[in-house]
Amino acid sequence: MTTIREEGYHHWGGQLAERRWTFWPITRTGIRQAFQRRRFKFLFASSFLPAVAYAVGIYISERLEDFKFMAQGAEKTLQVNPGFFKSYLTLDFIFFMILFLMALGGAGLIADDFRYKAVQLYFARPITRLDYILGKAGVVVFFVGLLTLVPAVLLLVIKLLFSGSFKFFLHYPWLILSIIFYSLFLMIFFTAFVLLLSSLSRNRDYVAALIFAVYLLSDIARGITSLIFHSPYSALFSIKANLNQVAAAFFLQKFPYDYPWYLSFLVLSIFCLLSYVVIKQKVRGVEVIR
Amino acid sequence: MSIELKNIHFSYGKVKALNGISFTLKEGATGLLGPNGAGKTTLLKILLGFLKPDEGEARVLGYDLKTEKKLIRQLVGYMPEDECFIPGMDAVSFTAYMGELSGMPRQEAMKRAHEVLFYVGLGESRYRLVDTYSAGMKQRLKLAQALVHDPKLLFLDEPTSNLDPAGRQEILELIGEIATSKNISGLICSHILADIESICDQVVIINKGEIAAVGRIEDLRMINYRLYELKIKGEIDNFKKELKAAGCRVEETEDRILKVYTPSDFDHLEIFRTAARNRLQVRQFVRSQSSLEDLLAKVVGVD
Repeated sequence: MTTIREEGYHHWGGQLAERRWTFWPITRTGIRQAFQRRRFKFLFASSFLPAVAYAVGIYISERLEDFKFMAQGAEKTLQVNPGFFKSYLTLDFIFFMILFLMALGGAGLIADDFRYKAVQLYFARPITRLDYILGKAGVVVFFVGLLTLVPAVLLLVIKLLFSGSFKFFLHYPWLILSIIFYSLFLMIFFTAFVLLLSSLSRNRDYVAALIFAVYLLSDIARGITSLIFHSPYSALFSIKANLNQVAAAFFLQKFPYDYPWYLSFLVLSIFCLLSYVVIKQKVRGVEVIR
Repeated sequence: MSIELKNIHFSYGKVKALNGISFTLKEGATGLLGPNGAGKTTLLKILLGFLKPDEGEARVLGYDLKTEKKLIRQLVGYMPEDECFIPGMDAVSFTAYMGELSGMPRQEAMKRAHEVLFYVGLGESRYRLVDTYSAGMKQRLKLAQALVHDPKLLFLDEPTSNLDPAGRQEILELIGEIATSKNISGLICSHILADIESICDQVVIINKGEIAAVGRIEDLRMINYRLYELKIKGEIDNFKKELKAAGCRVEETEDRILKVYTPSDFDHLEIFRTAARNRLQVRQFVRSQSSLEDLLAKVVGVD
C-alpha cells in the first residue's frame, strides 16, 4: 500500500447531475462483467450459430435453382414465412443458450450483491429500488434481445435483400411487429425468471443450477401430468410449452397444444408479475426483521 | 447545520429501537457512541433513508429526509461497517462506478476514482481485483467509495476496524483532516473511544434508544461530572457506601486508587468530611482529566 494522502484531497469541481436513466450505469457494468467471465464470450458467439444457419437457409431458399443438386425436396422446409421466424424464436437451442448465458452472466446479478453486501452501497446513493431492478433487468434484456430480436430482425432484412423486392414484407406486413412483440415478451419473461432466482439465494452457483432446474423440471412436470391426466392443459406447467403456445399466437401459426393460447400468456404474465413483487420485497438497502 | 433530528421514533416490531431522538449537529466531526444495541446503526440507517422513522422529523444538510431523500444521498458519503464490494471489479472501476451512481459523469468519475484511491493509500494497487484485497485494504476502499463524489457529509460506521495500528492512525488523520480543513462534516460511529476522542469535537451518546448526552466533548465532561483520584488509608467500604449515597460513583483500581465521579454541583470538600467521619486518612487527592470512556460510563451507566 502506498503512503496515505500521497496526492492530497481535492474537492471535485464538477456538478452532480440527476440522470434520466439512472439504471444505465448498472446495466452497462453488468454487461461488462458478464463478458469478463471465462467461457462467456465463447458461449455467446456459439449462440449465433442458429442465426447463421437460418440466414444460409434464406439464401438457399432464394437460390433454389442454383442449389437444386443439394436441396432436392427441400422446398417445403426452406419456405420462408412467419412459421420460419417463429421456429427460430422457439428453438430449443436458443432457449438453452439463453439459460447458459444467464447461468454464467446473470445468476450473480442480485445474488452477488446480497453475498457481498453491496446492496447498501447502491442505496446509499440517489438510486431507487426501481432503478436498481431496472439496471439489473437491463443486463438480461440485453442478452436475450441480442439472441432473439436482433437476429430475427436481421433475418427479415436478409430475406428482403435476397429476394430483391418488398413482396414478402407486403405479404406479411404484421410480421415485423410479431417479431418485436414476441421478442419483447421473451425478454420480459427471462428477465423476471433470472432476477427472481438470483434474488432467492446469496450463492451464484445455486442460482445457476436453479435456472436450469426450474426450466427442466417444469417440462418434466408437464410430462408427468400429461401421462396421468391425458390433458393438453398439462402443458401449462411447462415454461417451454407456454412460450411455444404464445409464439404460435404471435405468429398466427397452428397451436402446438389444444387449449386457448391466452391461458399460457396469462400463466407467464402472472409469473412475471409475482417475480417483480418478490424481487421488490427482497431488494432492500437494509434487512429489517419486524 | 448538518443534521437536525426532532423526536425520532423507530421500532422493530414490538422492540423500540429509537425513542424520541432529538438533536442538532453543527459542521465538523461528531462521534456517535453508545453500547451495543443502543440504536446507533438504526439511527445511521434512518439518516441514510434505509429505514423510515415511525414518527418525527429529520433534516440532513438542510434537506427534508422524507421528501428530499435523493438529494441527501447525492451529498452524503457512506462507509458501511460490513465488508462490502462488488466482486470481479478492480478498485478503480469499482470506485468510479460508485461515483457514477452518485451522479458523476463517467469520465469525471474515473478521473476522480484515481485521485481518491491515491488519497486513501491504494494508488499502487488500484488495478487489482477488489476480491484479492486484504481486510485493511477493503476498509480503505470503502472510504474511497464514500469520498469519490466529494460529499458534504460523511457517515462512517466503524471506520478503523480491521486496520493495523499504523493504518488506523493514518485513516484517523485523514478523517480528521477532511473534517477540519476540507469542510466535510462527519458522523462517526465507533466503539473505539480513543478514535472518537482523537478526531471528533462533538459527540452524541445514545443509550437504550434515547439520547444520553449530546454536545462538545469538553463541555460534556464539565457538565456531567468531575473526577477525583484518591489514595486512602483504612477500611473504605463504609466510605464508598456514603459517597454513593451522596450521588457519586466510586471505582477502585488494581493499585488501590479510588476514582470518585462526583455530580457537577457536588462540593468536593464533602469527600474529606466523609473520610473524617469514617476516621480515614486521605493521602492523595487529585482532580483528574477524565477520558471519553469515563464520560460514556457515566452517562450510560455502565462500567
